[in-house]
Amino acid sequence: MTIPLFWLVPVAAVSALSFAFLFFKLMMREDEGTERMKKIAQHVRTGAMAYLKQQYKVVTIVFIVLTALFALMAFFGFQNNWVWFAFLTGGFFSGLAGFFGMKTATYAGARTANAAQLSLNKGLQVAFRSGAVMGLVVVGLALLDISAWFIVLNLFVKNLDETHKLVMITTTMLTFGMGASTQALFARVGGGIYTKAADVGADLVGKIEAGIPEDDPRNPATIADNVGDNVGDVAGMGADLYESYAGSILATAALGAAAFISNPALQLRAVLAPMLIAAVGTILSIVGIFAVRTKENASQKELLGALGRGVNLSSLLIIILSYVVIRVLGIPNAVGYWGSIVIGLLSGWLIGKETEYFTSEAYKPTRHIADNAKTGPATVIIAGLGTGMVSTAFPVLTIVIGTMLAYLTASGFDMANVAEGLYGIGIAAVGMLSTLGITLATDAYGPIADNAGGNAEMSGLGKEVRKRTDALDSLGNTTAATGKGFAIGSAALTALALLASYVEEIKVALYRLPAKAAAFESAMEKTLQNASLGDFMEYYNVTLMNPKVLLGMFMGSMMAFVFCGLSMQAVGRAASSMVDEVRRQFREIKGIMEGHAEPDYAACVAISTKGAQREMMVPSLLAIIAPVLMGAVFGVPGVMGLLTGGLATGFVLAVFMANAGGAWDNAKKYIEGGAHGGKGSEAHKAAVIGDTVGDPFKDTSGPSLNILIKLMSMVSIVVAGLTVAWSLL
Amino acid sequence: MNYYLYLSLIPEALIGSMLPPHEFGMYFAVGTRKRTRGEAIFFHVDSSFKSKDFPFDSLEKRCVPNSNGDPKRSVYLSIYRALEHVPVRYLKELYLVTDDGRVLEIGQSEYKVKPVQELHLYQELSPVNPLIASNLDPITFCRTITNKNHVVHVPKVVFVELLLGGLAENPKQASAYNLPYKNLDHLRDCLNSLLEKPDKPTKTVIRSMPCDLLYRTIKNGFFVGDAHDVAFYPFPSIDELEEKNHDWWRSANVIGFQD
Repeated sequence: MTIPLFWLVPVAAVSALSFAFLFFKLMMREDEGTERMKKIAQHVRTGAMAYLKQQYKVVTIVFIVLTALFALMAFFGFQNNWVWFAFLTGGFFSGLAGFFGMKTATYAGARTANAAQLSLNKGLQVAFRSGAVMGLVVVGLALLDISAWFIVLNLFVKNLDETHKLVMITTTMLTFGMGASTQALFARVGGGIYTKAADVGADLVGKIEAGIPEDDPRNPATIADNVGDNVGDVAGMGADLYESYAGSILATAALGAAAFISNPALQLRAVLAPMLIAAVGTILSIVGIFAVRTKENASQKELLGALGRGVNLSSLLIIILSYVVIRVLGIPNAVGYWGSIVIGLLSGWLIGKETEYFTSEAYKPTRHIADNAKTGPATVIIAGLGTGMVSTAFPVLTIVIGTMLAYLTASGFDMANVAEGLYGIGIAAVGMLSTLGITLATDAYGPIADNAGGNAEMSGLGKEVRKRTDALDSLGNTTAATGKGFAIGSAALTALALLASYVEEIKVALYRLPAKAAAFESAMEKTLQNASLGDFMEYYNVTLMNPKVLLGMFMGSMMAFVFCGLSMQAVGRAASSMVDEVRRQFREIKGIMEGHAEPDYAACVAISTKGAQREMMVPSLLAIIAPVLMGAVFGVPGVMGLLTGGLATGFVLAVFMANAGGAWDNAKKYIEGGAHGGKGSEAHKAAVIGDTVGDPFKDTSGPSLNILIKLMSMVSIVVAGLTVAWSLL
Repeated sequence: MNYYLYLSLIPEALIGSMLPPHEFGMYFAVGTRKRTRGEAIFFHVDSSFKSKDFPFDSLEKRCVPNSNGDPKRSVYLSIYRALEHVPVRYLKELYLVTDDGRVLEIGQSEYKVKPVQELHLYQELSPVNPLIASNLDPITFCRTITNKNHVVHVPKVVFVELLLGGLAENPKQASAYNLPYKNLDHLRDCLNSLLEKPDKPTKTVIRSMPCDLLYRTIKNGFFVGDAHDVAFYPFPSIDELEEKNHDWWRSANVIGFQD
């Protein structure tokens, strides 16, 4: 049950993986530089792999426990037999993407620094194409997993008519998203804690322990800091967007199967549409990657323009070709769905621009924070908090307007046409993420350039090379800030699609529970097959007048704050351990300061790794357990409330934290550029404090919220059978 | 004789040591196991220098290797009023040491007074530490402040001239961009009062400055002298520092919470 066009999906997946392999090979062919450069790079690689190994150990235990639980649920008929396996593959592929991305990044740092000795363009090419490995591996593996599951389930799901078979296939595929989500949660939370513990720790060594610069080889925490860039910004960001990417495609496919259930031929095309849009986007991402190049002595603006050229080219081409895809698929209201795709893409672009406006030193909000630095750290903190809070208005409005427009264009401007409207929202999420191959490449480029700068500093490369790596690094900071905005926006849109898919999953759960299904049909006076999303809402009394929904919303909002708080406290504790370790090394290893003895870098890496693994468990398990408990106590309305509250609060809080953190960071940089007295002034000291506070905001808690809002939806989807079967109230 | 002689400015002291200048600077700033910290500025004093003002007799006996064979790191000959007793002609290179023990060596050079009438800002490093605004060029300032005929004077002084940017010519209205000084309005007032009362050559901006130097604010270099002799130690340009002394410059630019 498929159409020839479907094969474009695995072809795109294989193409992405092939180009990723090609870029990896080309990067590996580059010289890693002097012995010193190689040695530093090897330290970073060893540290990064040690971290991954430890993380995978912990995650494996969690996966074994959860898989056993899913198998048990399947045994008792609360879940279908495929879930445990789908869950495993989702987690495996997400972990694999992180592994490949990080391996590439840790090989690329020194090579980028060495390439920068030749020219700026050469440095950019090596760093960007290495970042592209991460981008292409993520989309390649996601599409491979999706297409493989589609083929397998097509072959093995039997005893159902065509339309219900597709509903069953898509909702089963959706559960592999939970594997990706769980893996992403540990990667994001663990990576976030690791990177900031190392960064803040290394930074505090300079600020408290006598002025040793961050990238100074005498600083014992410096390698951990470089490892952290890869752990947090490559593996963490990759896993986050892998989950959003796969989640948006799968949720949209499930919504498509539900929306066109009355027309089997159309239903199949609606299910395949998000996969095909993503496949075309992947191929266009590859085209865009080749368009990124710059001239020697390029200015910062020209460098940014070079990256923008690649992203814009891919986006422009997907706008054109996605219309062709929908027309070829023969889906009615092609212009409407195409409109949803364009709206999704524009929303992603707009959120990036809004993030840039609120976090770049070129604009008023960040300069306002810098102005407040003149009156001390307290006013810097107040101004940053205020700016971060105000900044939430624009991405939220963008998502609100974008979602509404996507719904309207897809539903033919008929609010009552809920199923197609929701499918449109999913399509918008797919549109936003369709060119993830290149947008993630620009994100992963950042930490590679950052590591190249660190390597150049530690290896004592010349002034000209440092100038080039600084330029590349500075560009990476800009793309990282906008990338975070994009990740949050796409997470929100994906979570919205998942929320609708949750209701679909309830329907599928009822199929497996005949007594419950009979009760539903009797109460609603219609068959399960003909029931709409609204019918399920009505049956489960999902209204604001139901206290279970309201209580769920409170719990969801609380979850976002508690999760943030726990991850921030974790950073504080882990950073303190790092400072203690640095003090111990100075005390016990003679000759570090003179450069006669090498610090024990591995011990600092181990401290950060251990700290991250220890600290990530509570917030992570909380995110997994909360929806299960809420379902067990308050049933479907409670879960809907939890997801809504978590999404609404989590999205806004994530934007607030990312933007406040980014703005504090750049306010400091603005002052370092000479404003308000420049470096060393009282304003600068105040801004340094603001930046330190903002570090866990933007790099730990904020990004982790993306995962929270998606994972809670995914867990709810997977345990929907259990929730439907039994709840206390 | 197997010792070196150093005249420290932070704090003022005359010290004998078996360590050569760079090693002494590292030791002086961070200790042996990084349990102390602090910027250091010191002169290498010519070994031929002898004076009855200091217990040189004991130096030969005390400045010998430790029982474990390690060189003797420091033997204090004086812990105050050392500068005034060391003639300028015996001062060799100047060493600037960062908090984390990076050492920069600066040699003497001739200072040419610029024929431009402008205002100056001087941070005195020893024996007292005020921040002084003045309409005198560095050489004249040095001679004036050490002139015994003045009611208020010091026997010898070490100071550094700091950047004023546009404020050097137009203290009222010029931009203070990239000038990190505390209480800029007060500084403008002080500079302006020098313009309004040309017969008053100096004005105290801050009575006692912290000894940590913000190196990026140095305009031309360090001056040491008395009424007769003035020596100038030019501070390298930022380009030169980035090119040749990058490690030192990076450390010198680390801004901490400690202040």
